[in-house]
Amino acid sequence: MTRSTRLRFTGIAAVATVALAACGGGASSSSGSGGAPVAGGTLTIARSQDIISMDKTTTFDNNSIYVMEQIMEPLFTVSKDGSKVEPWLATGYDISADKLTYTIHLRKGVTFSDGKPLTAADVKFSIDEDTKTGTDGWGYINSAIDTVTATDDSTVTIKLKYAWAPLLADLSLFSNGIIPNNYGGKSKDAFYAAPVGTGPFVWGSWTKGQSVKVTANKKYWGHKPHLDAVTWTVVADANTRKLQLQGGQIDIDDTPDWSSFSSLKGTAGINAQTFPSTYEQYVTFNEQHKPFQDVHVRRAIASAIDRNAIIKTVLFGNGTVADSLLSAGTPFYDKNNGAPGFDVAKAKQEMAQSSVPNGFSTTILISSGNPDQASIAQIMQSELKAIGIDLKITQLDPTAQKQARLKSQFDMVAQAWTMDIPDPDEWTSFAVDPNGGSHSSFSYYNNPQVIALNKQAEKETDDSKRQELYSQLQKQVSADSPFAYLYYAPYVFAMKDSVKGFYSTPLGNYHLEDVYKTK
Amino acid sequence: MLDRLRFVPGRLLQAIPVLFGVTLIVFFMVHLLPGNPAVAILGQTATPERVAALSKQLGLDQPLWDQYLLFMKHLFQGNLGTSITYQRPVSELVFQDFPITLSLLLFALVLSLAISVPLAALAATAPGRGRDLGVRAFTLLGQGMPQFWVGIMLILLLAVKAGLFPVGGYGETWGEHWYYLFLPALTLAIAMCPTVIRSLRASTINVLGSDYVGTARSKGAAGAGLFRLHVLRNAAIPTVSIVGVNLGYLIGGTLVIEKVFAVPGLGSLMINAILARDFPTIQAVALFVALFVIVIGILTDVVYTAIDPRVDLSSKEFA
Amino acid sequence: MTTAVVRASRAMRRPVRSRALKPWYRNGTLVAGLVIVGLLVLVALLAPLLTPYDPIAQDLEHALASPSGAHWLGTDKYGRDVLTRLMYGARIDLRVGFLAVLIPFVVGSVLGALAGYFGGWFDTVVMRVVDVFFAFPFYVLVIVLVFVLGAGESSIYLAIATVSWVSYAKILRGELLVAKKQDWVIAARLGGMSHGRILLRHIAPNVLSQALIYAMSDIVMDIMAIVTLGYLGLGIAPPTAEWGSMILDGQEFITTQWQQATIPGLAVVVTSLGLSFLGDGLSDLLTPERRR
Repeated sequence: MTRSTRLRFTGIAAVATVALAACGGGASSSSGSGGAPVAGGTLTIARSQDIISMDKTTTFDNNSIYVMEQIMEPLFTVSKDGSKVEPWLATGYDISADKLTYTIHLRKGVTFSDGKPLTAADVKFSIDEDTKTGTDGWGYINSAIDTVTATDDSTVTIKLKYAWAPLLADLSLFSNGIIPNNYGGKSKDAFYAAPVGTGPFVWGSWTKGQSVKVTANKKYWGHKPHLDAVTWTVVADANTRKLQLQGGQIDIDDTPDWSSFSSLKGTAGINAQTFPSTYEQYVTFNEQHKPFQDVHVRRAIASAIDRNAIIKTVLFGNGTVADSLLSAGTPFYDKNNGAPGFDVAKAKQEMAQSSVPNGFSTTILISSGNPDQASIAQIMQSELKAIGIDLKITQLDPTAQKQARLKSQFDMVAQAWTMDIPDPDEWTSFAVDPNGGSHSSFSYYNNPQVIALNKQAEKETDDSKRQELYSQLQKQVSADSPFAYLYYAPYVFAMKDSVKGFYSTPLGNYHLEDVYKTK
Repeated sequence: MLDRLRFVPGRLLQAIPVLFGVTLIVFFMVHLLPGNPAVAILGQTATPERVAALSKQLGLDQPLWDQYLLFMKHLFQGNLGTSITYQRPVSELVFQDFPITLSLLLFALVLSLAISVPLAALAATAPGRGRDLGVRAFTLLGQGMPQFWVGIMLILLLAVKAGLFPVGGYGETWGEHWYYLFLPALTLAIAMCPTVIRSLRASTINVLGSDYVGTARSKGAAGAGLFRLHVLRNAAIPTVSIVGVNLGYLIGGTLVIEKVFAVPGLGSLMINAILARDFPTIQAVALFVALFVIVIGILTDVVYTAIDPRVDLSSKEFA
Repeated sequence: MTTAVVRASRAMRRPVRSRALKPWYRNGTLVAGLVIVGLLVLVALLAPLLTPYDPIAQDLEHALASPSGAHWLGTDKYGRDVLTRLMYGARIDLRVGFLAVLIPFVVGSVLGALAGYFGGWFDTVVMRVVDVFFAFPFYVLVIVLVFVLGAGESSIYLAIATVSWVSYAKILRGELLVAKKQDWVIAARLGGMSHGRILLRHIAPNVLSQALIYAMSDIVMDIMAIVTLGYLGLGIAPPTAEWGSMILDGQEFITTQWQQATIPGLAVVVTSLGLSFLGDGLSDLLTPERRR
């Protein structure tokens, strides 16, 4: 047995919690309290889109992910406030002195919903399955893993290629969810048509384009779900969802319009709530297009945007100004990084110092069918006039817009990001490292200093040192302004008063075994 | 009569090059769309490398012509392809959604006839007078309103304000389906009515003024019996083809209505497939719809032939 | 079925009384149409003079205001005056509606007429192509084309043109099939008159009236198409005022400020009515008693 290190969690100073308190009502509390849990009932959640697939390694849409998370569970999971990783199917871990070997202890007594016990062989298979998808799917998240070994039935040893601080966060991603070894003897397609996992719910049925249903797992290792079943229905129009909620047809409206938020909140029998998220809306400048290679231009634009006006119009006031590359719920977020705020005088100053002091004409790319982006673009258009910039709006259908973004065929583009894991690395590598695959979130931003900071931070396992590195990184990125941060928007749900115990973590996932309905 | 149906096999044969043309156009046009399914599938973490890798895995990097030939080969084997988005056979998707759109169309047809026939009769029996002008105003109004707007107005008035009908969706049980389809069907019916009313009205007027009705009148057959027997049957003839053309045209219009009312039919399938660049689904649905339009056309002419003994579509003149 | 439709549409066209004997200004529908369309065109042209507001100027402090003295129809979510945007929207929708008809009219009519007149393989080819386009759901084709061609006004023209020329082709072909059998045409050919002369100087004036009448309703359909594209988010990019995108913007507020989604739709209805009256009046004027 290795020199034992006390069981510990990746504790991170809850800078996050302080910032979270500022975001909307009901910061970390779940919906409603009081009234003892009532057994039974079906929870109906209406969403604008259908699921696509239950294949955890190659699915990217949230609708599918939130459903599969009720069925398949990872070794670790994100805490309710999103600031750290907690043991889930694992009970703890030991880390070797050279930081390259993690010995993970599995929870005993866990079975899959079909009764078969959870063993290390299942864990090895599940993680390897994700790693195998390589660049087609989520495999890249496991790129630091060298080998996974089932040391005995309840212990798994993971050897890394290099020191890697985000490992546990990576393991908490749904794509590393644990499934039966060899798909339980089925083919991959057959397995994912009706996936089996250790989660609180079991796959029920799926009527494409209409609804998907899961039922309670009687053999669940954790506290058993109060509900009998959960159904997600597909209702494309926000007004329709709202009316269905008001009419009692559904229990939860997954994304009510911000414009209806306050009226829903005030409606008797209905509870509209926001939950802190890691969602950040920003604008990317393409440094390959003149004059965006000029930092003064970028800073000028970042300072000319009245973020509060945008929040008021788009979110009806239910958001906060974005003041860092990282969102407020992300570990190592540091709000003291000198991010540009709304300061027209400063904007004009920067323009005067820039290569185009008399202004210029440019475009912003948005996706059609996205009212938030349309609003942001139109407001920016009006605000940038004040510093001599003539902004035109280019609107393409969502896939064409994505394509244009991928090829960096834009001047400015509206983008958003939500953390997938409770660790900044996935995002920072994507955003500031040109070799992160996306050419720095398609901006072609290239600052060797920042790249070095990022690489150091991902290998630094000491939290306070890591904080130092990420703070420096955030400062430098704000000074360089490759992106204009706009706002952080919380998750918003509207539900019947009778729904209790519902909450969403800042990463967007929810634990439906905690939810119950009162009468 | 079977003799006069000689034209059917010929028309079916003629349909083949048309369908072939449809597949060609759809295939190449759809591949002109910027982006491909890989771009649509990958989420916020998409990078050019990942898109390329996924495209390769999906067989999208093959030369276009090869992909087309593969598609046609599968088609001849009766295989409509596999949806890239859902990784399931497209036929499964189409056969699930088509009955929904078909129900919507048939419901709309019934409603439009229920509205049009009485209105046309009212108008035709008093041409030029008050109620004729009223009906005419109604048809002009029906033609002038954008379909999606009519849908939104019906939702506003009958669902939101009056609470009589649900706001969109499809329901779970068979009974619920028809209840949920009422408003969208009504919206489509309102779009269909104007042409049907006009045609029916005009031909009814003609028939009412024609010789044999005059003869029937003089022989003593009067009132409702006369109307139903002779007039309607003969007035229906040109209307049948109008309805047929309309039906074929409307299956494209259901796309917008399905979006407004969140009905999970073929239109929704198509629009989602276009957004996701799900080529196999787009191709299959387009083909399916084209086939449907052609079949409706042939059926219309069969009905036309059945009703009107004078018509002989098999003669060369009408090719 | 082609001929069945033509026969049916002939039956439709026959007026109850012959109104061609009345002078045009006594034709109620025609006058009504001219007045309505005339007013709309006037409003569209004079919009800058009729309103003090800029259609894209934002006033976020006064967003979503109810109708009042300052804003007769209220403001939208950016604080822009709705009445002003309605007027400027008329410019877009009317202009695009009229222009989108031109190419299909010309191209379709020429192809259809030639197909009908000369017949033979050219006719077969053209008609098969027409059949293919007819088998396509109109909106699917337009949407895909707009996606392919990218956003913007010219894409809309191209997309609509590609899809709607077929109706003109069918109409003209039908007309020509009948026209070429006329006694005088046969006589003219026997007398040595060239095809060109027969077509251009003698047949054309007679048959074009049908296409013209159809064109009027086609303008209505084109306006519908543009408004629908705007509603689907595929029309002219924001912030340009256009009735369809105004309805889209307003739909979000249907339960609170329903006039935002309703009023632009009414504008479309009035425009269509005016154009329909115009078309009907024109039809009365140009087609007195037709041959059976």
